[in-house]
Amino acid sequence: MLSKIINRLEESVIAFLLAAMTIITFSQVVARYVFNTGTVWALELTTFCFAWLVLFGMSYGVKIGAHIGVDAFVKMLPKPTQRVLTLIAAACCLGYAVILFVGAWEYWAKIYKIGIEAVDLPIPRWIPYSILPIGLALLFYRFAEATYLIVTGKRATLAASHESEEAVHEHAEEIKREAHMDLGGGTGGGTGSEPDTRSSDPPGKDPDPRA
Amino acid sequence: MASVVLFVLVLVLLLIGTPIAIALGFSSVIVILLFSDDSLASIALKLFEAMEHYTLLAIPFFILSSAFLSTGGVARRIIRFAIACVGHFRGGLAISSVFACMLFAALSGSSPATVVAIGSIVIAGMRQVGYTRDFAAGVVCNAGTLGILIPPSIVMVVYAAATDVSVGRMFMAGVIPGLMAGVMLMIGIYVAARIKGLPAQPWAGLREILQSGGDAFWGLLLIVIILGGIYGGIFTPTEAAAVAAVYAFIIALFVYRDMGPLKERRWRHDDESIPAAIVRNIALTLVYFVPALVHRDTQKTLLEAGRVTLMLMFIIANALLFAHVLTTERIPQGITDAILSAGLTPWMFLIVVNLLLLAGGQFMEPSGLLVIVAPVVFPIAIELGIDPIHLGIIMVVNMEIGMITPPVGLNLFVTSGITGMSVMAVVRAALPWLIILMVFLVMVTYIPAISTFLPNLMFGPQIVN
Repeated sequence: MLSKIINRLEESVIAFLLAAMTIITFSQVVARYVFNTGTVWALELTTFCFAWLVLFGMSYGVKIGAHIGVDAFVKMLPKPTQRVLTLIAAACCLGYAVILFVGAWEYWAKIYKIGIEAVDLPIPRWIPYSILPIGLALLFYRFAEATYLIVTGKRATLAASHESEEAVHEHAEEIKREAHMDLGGGTGGGTGSEPDTRSSDPPGKDPDPRA
Repeated sequence: MASVVLFVLVLVLLLIGTPIAIALGFSSVIVILLFSDDSLASIALKLFEAMEHYTLLAIPFFILSSAFLSTGGVARRIIRFAIACVGHFRGGLAISSVFACMLFAALSGSSPATVVAIGSIVIAGMRQVGYTRDFAAGVVCNAGTLGILIPPSIVMVVYAAATDVSVGRMFMAGVIPGLMAGVMLMIGIYVAARIKGLPAQPWAGLREILQSGGDAFWGLLLIVIILGGIYGGIFTPTEAAAVAAVYAFIIALFVYRDMGPLKERRWRHDDESIPAAIVRNIALTLVYFVPALVHRDTQKTLLEAGRVTLMLMFIIANALLFAHVLTTERIPQGITDAILSAGLTPWMFLIVVNLLLLAGGQFMEPSGLLVIVAPVVFPIAIELGIDPIHLGIIMVVNMEIGMITPPVGLNLFVTSGITGMSVMAVVRAALPWLIILMVFLVMVTYIPAISTFLPNLMFGPQIVN
């Protein structure tokens, strides 16, 4: 239950930050051409959203296995060797998170103490930069979790083999569904020049490639 | 010493299955701790600074716009248009698939995404009219690589950011090579189809071309907005990407209605008059605009784009850290001196670049590889008088080929995933077409005008500083 709430929270933050970046940048273009104005701090706010998206999201990426790596070599080895190598890799990931967390903490503590402001936004610099130590702490947590899952045999690898892994699965399922629908017979003819609104129709309706 | 440790560490970490980003970041951090006096704080700050790079800011927006338009519905419209245009040639469906990949590449900056969207539809279609699975998979696997050569392209944005050349120039430079590679593949297919006696589709008629073209038009307008907007000086590439993302959102939810609150709603009911339909659609758009912003499908697309963004940017941020170590260890200078003193001519140097990238492409994600290789190769190229834009296109074409060369080509995995073929079977299927792309690579490498003609024509000659 709790993990569901956390998952939902992580996903919402990522979606919101990306939407915010897009809307801010887009509205700057509109402001410039339609209202002939602009905001000084818009760009800085966008880059902060961007940094938050990536630094907050990197731990989420570990959780869902979104970070890509090369698994072709490891897969050729016998299972026990695979596990040992994966655990060594996991140790490096944990080391990375620890070292960078220490650095991030040092940097953050320094700017917190000095109390300098951001370049354009009227806020102290330590607020946006707090994502550095937070993100790296979360990254450590997620790597520790992944390591635990590998040790207990519930997870096989640290990385995905390519960025479209999920899309490939989705499409494979979609194809299966459509093949099923095809048997029921697609009734669609061309709907004229209007955009097609029935996306679930079988592919290539008019010049049916299966004809 | 430091450089040996650096490269050995990265290679070992990559081979044991460490995520690419961590492999790059961890080995950089270790080398910094061992050999340099950079503070840990400054290393951590580098992670944050990657996202303050204005050019790289275009990446999430391009990913988002392509996420909105990478749906099966858009792919189908493009495929229908492609079949109407070139389906009546011998081997028409395969030629249409290449054409569809080219068009789709203009909406999406990623090669695997192109293979998934187009391939998952056309491969099944080709098999049904008598093509072998190998032929169909091989064609799509190769044509899908055009995703990073035809603008907008994320790899080009990364190159521009790493070397400080203009994104607009790189995009323009990709147009002619992208068209050329596509046409070369089409000619290859036509010849093969003549020999093998592959079927042609019936001529669909001008009416079908216009109808399907009108349908695909809204999606394809995206590339016009991006290139036109940058060329006309209306917005910066980063702003163009944000505008593209908003445009893609509107097209996907309100025009194509593949997703969102208006999904499955028709533009015109069977007995509705045109004015009534216009009024009804305007009302629908206004009423559902705010719901569309928070609709489940919109959230899902945002999350999907966010996932790809953070994965890619995490690699790029760590690759920048890696490139920083390379520079502080003066590795690029060392290599430059070695190469210049060895008296390498430009064309020999370009062979070295080709080989380096083809080898590197085996292990690395294209964007990450570019961030690392560009600072090493770029100064040498400038020294030898090679045009930076030309170099960029060479690098992108190399990345393309790296995606379909075994053992670790991204497109090979994706094609294997959507067809159920083994990776080795896809490798064999892709091989004949790979040769065409190799010939293309040689042409692009040794005829600079292919890449530089269009950007020089539109923006004036590139000034090397």
